[in-house]
Amino acid sequence: MTTTLEQAKTAAIPQGGGLHRRLNMATAMIGGIVFASLFWYLAHHFLDATSRTYSDEVAGSLTIGWIVGFWLGIGAFVAPLRWLIGRDNTRADDLYLAGQGQGTSRYWKFTTDHKVVGVQYIIMTMVLLGAGGILAMAIRTELIVPGNHFVNQQVYNGFIAVHGMLMILALIVAVAGPWGNFVVPIMCGARDMAFPRLNALSLWTLVGAAGLLLTTLAVGSLTMGWVVLEPIADQAGVGMDFFAMAIIVFTVSTTVAGVNTICTILTMRTKGMTLARLPIFVWGAIIAAALGLYAFPYFSLVEAQTLMDRTFSTSFFVANAGGTGWLQANLFWLMGHPEVYVILLPAVAALFEIAAVMSRKPVFSYRSAVAGMTGLAGLSILVWAHHMFTTGWAPTLGGPFMLTTELISIPTGLFFLVLIGTLWRGNIWMKLPTIWMFGFIANFIIAGVTGIYLSDIPLDDQLHGTMFVTAHFHYVFVGSVLFGAVSALAFWYPKVTGRFLNEFMGRISFWLTFIGVQVTFLAMFASGLRGMPRRYSSYAFIFEHTNLMTTIGAYIIMAGMLVLLGAVITSWNKGEPAGPNPWHANSLEWMVPTPVPLENFEVLPVITEDPYNYGEELVRS
Amino acid sequence: MSIDTHSELDAHGAHDGGHHEPPEVVDGRQRMGVWLFIGGDMIGLGALLFTYLYLRGVNSGGHWMSMWGYTGHPYSYYYNILDVKGGSIPNPKLIHVGTLSAGLNWLVTVLTVVSAGIIWAAERGLRATKNAKSYSTLAAASTVVTVVAIVFTVIQLRHIPQIFSAHNDSLTMAYTAYDSAMMAIVGSTLIHLIVLAFLGLGLTIRSARGAINGTKWYQARLVRFFWVWVAVASVIISAVTTTINTIH
Ligand SMILES: [Cu+2]
Repeated sequence: MTTTLEQAKTAAIPQGGGLHRRLNMATAMIGGIVFASLFWYLAHHFLDATSRTYSDEVAGSLTIGWIVGFWLGIGAFVAPLRWLIGRDNTRADDLYLAGQGQGTSRYWKFTTDHKVVGVQYIIMTMVLLGAGGILAMAIRTELIVPGNHFVNQQVYNGFIAVHGMLMILALIVAVAGPWGNFVVPIMCGARDMAFPRLNALSLWTLVGAAGLLLTTLAVGSLTMGWVVLEPIADQAGVGMDFFAMAIIVFTVSTTVAGVNTICTILTMRTKGMTLARLPIFVWGAIIAAALGLYAFPYFSLVEAQTLMDRTFSTSFFVANAGGTGWLQANLFWLMGHPEVYVILLPAVAALFEIAAVMSRKPVFSYRSAVAGMTGLAGLSILVWAHHMFTTGWAPTLGGPFMLTTELISIPTGLFFLVLIGTLWRGNIWMKLPTIWMFGFIANFIIAGVTGIYLSDIPLDDQLHGTMFVTAHFHYVFVGSVLFGAVSALAFWYPKVTGRFLNEFMGRISFWLTFIGVQVTFLAMFASGLRGMPRRYSSYAFIFEHTNLMTTIGAYIIMAGMLVLLGAVITSWNKGEPAGPNPWHANSLEWMVPTPVPLENFEVLPVITEDPYNYGEELVRS
Repeated sequence: MSIDTHSELDAHGAHDGGHHEPPEVVDGRQRMGVWLFIGGDMIGLGALLFTYLYLRGVNSGGHWMSMWGYTGHPYSYYYNILDVKGGSIPNPKLIHVGTLSAGLNWLVTVLTVVSAGIIWAAERGLRATKNAKSYSTLAAASTVVTVVAIVFTVIQLRHIPQIFSAHNDSLTMAYTAYDSAMMAIVGSTLIHLIVLAFLGLGLTIRSARGAINGTKWYQARLVRFFWVWVAVASVIISAVTTTINTIH
């Protein structure tokens, strides 16, 4: 059996492609480094070195040089320039860009095939999670005993900020990136995304942003967590400039990807694929994309203003010159809370899909599922100030924001109803995707209930800024989203590779991770309830035992993730062959051959009913 | 999922650059894409104006439009006096910066509206008369108007006054909150105008080369949507910033 990796080798390499024939990730890196050096040199020599903001101006120029060079080197400007001069791509150009006949090398290029982009997102997610995970281990090692000096305290601060942001980026793309690209177009009955070149652009822009974010570690000096609160962010070293630019570039990637996802789902569906017949995962993808489109402009603006304060000496957030830190907090959380659901919704929707297939039942109350996801997205834009209860900003709005936040439990309650209702009396097939889904259900209850505690202002007065908060959102991100993401990975892995993810290793990984999460974060709740502040590099002796437990738990999670990584790598070429439809599912991605051919369908299908009618096929082979 | 595989044969795909897909299908998709980008841009404009109005509302330390310090020279001038030559400068004064030129603001807006009007009229003419030559000329004219708007935007940006302040051991070149917000808004206008100039140039060249003509005018309309939105945004920006600015 050939895997997707080998798929495109058989066809001849098309004649077209032009400049793209010479460009790949290596030229992108070279371009980025050359232009970063050039911009650094020019800034270094031509800017006013006496200025207080000189070093930030130089750093800011360097980051712009990096991304311009990176885009040049990967070929992002080829299409706009060809458009400008009226030389549009030929069919041969488009086929070359789609990766035809280029084997594995197409994974390192500006390739437009949505399946290639999906695999690139899998790799990207694993790289980001890996880097963030290493930082998490360093943080927990520092905190293993009070007064430990595993890393220097400034370095520790940088680890906290970059760990947070890396993980946020990783989880934003963890489900929507790989599966929003690989399976959503096929599920809709499309031959590719609506805008294949923009799809490649969003992936490679993410790579460029990740490069900047990782560089902040080298230049250091981030002291205020991933939220980069003002006015501390104004006083931080040049690492902050890299961080801000990384985010601005990242929002370009998410905006482009969001527009592409929405257009694909709304305009590329095949005949008969009405909105009511869409696989539920597609709904999750489009709602999350729309929410991202709303949220991320605030993110780029707040980071652009942070950069302006630091390089041009404006005073958006600097109180002694007319600014205010509350503006930063408002803009940030206008983005920050919706962003949580940009992360959560694709994972939840994937689990709806998986629950239906693995229990041989339709999604329970499909309309409630759609309404719950839409309601969650709508509510999420009205809750941002619950992150500011204790800042003193608009105390009179505390009540209304507490109410909107607590209302969130209604759509999330619907999620449980839909998941449990789907599984109820189903013929449940206990394979890896199902197992990780049960992990999600258990953890998400803890995540949700502790969220209600934190939305309560009197309690938040006590718990804000403590490890209780950290434990809560780690139950959301690790306990829930990561479990959903692994479930989705195990579910669609056979479509990508033609092989099952190793069941045994996957189960070992599940138990390690599941136990690790409980040990780590239940102990962290205890630390928080006793008053341990978050983000500190040391702590009082009363927190000794719970921190030791948390660190041990974190190591167990890491062990679980390493086993999973081993499973992903070893199963890719050597796993048990799965065939085109290993789960006997009905949605379109399982109807096409594996490996999925370029352009997916020989003949575009016509859909006559929803994908959950298992009828008499209840007996599994 | 029941699939009827006996549907009509559809042997063309998404990777063919739309050569085989009907152009109106491709256009419908791209129109939605443009509207979604405009939607994201609207959120961005809203956030910018929120910043402006919020800073004006809180008026931290009374620094919305005024600040203690000196003005009229670049940073290095005061820096040299204080740090290099070891001299001293007189006591700081409370400087009221005042609003940026409303005339210049509206001039840029009018130019943007005019360029949008030209590009719209050009498109109507193209669709009615199928004359790509005159479309190309009008697109070029619209691009030139945009470039003029860019020049005035840069002039406006350069007119934002810097204030040098020296307190205790730190020397700072700073802007008032009003000037900070205006720098972001005018900067955003500049970026949008540069995009318009690029698009206008593209329309000019493409229509001259026949890639846009009497039957292939969809892209002209796509660009027009964005152009008109930028013009509308410019009107909103000028209306807000020239009517709501000083605090009494
Ligand atoms: Cu929140």
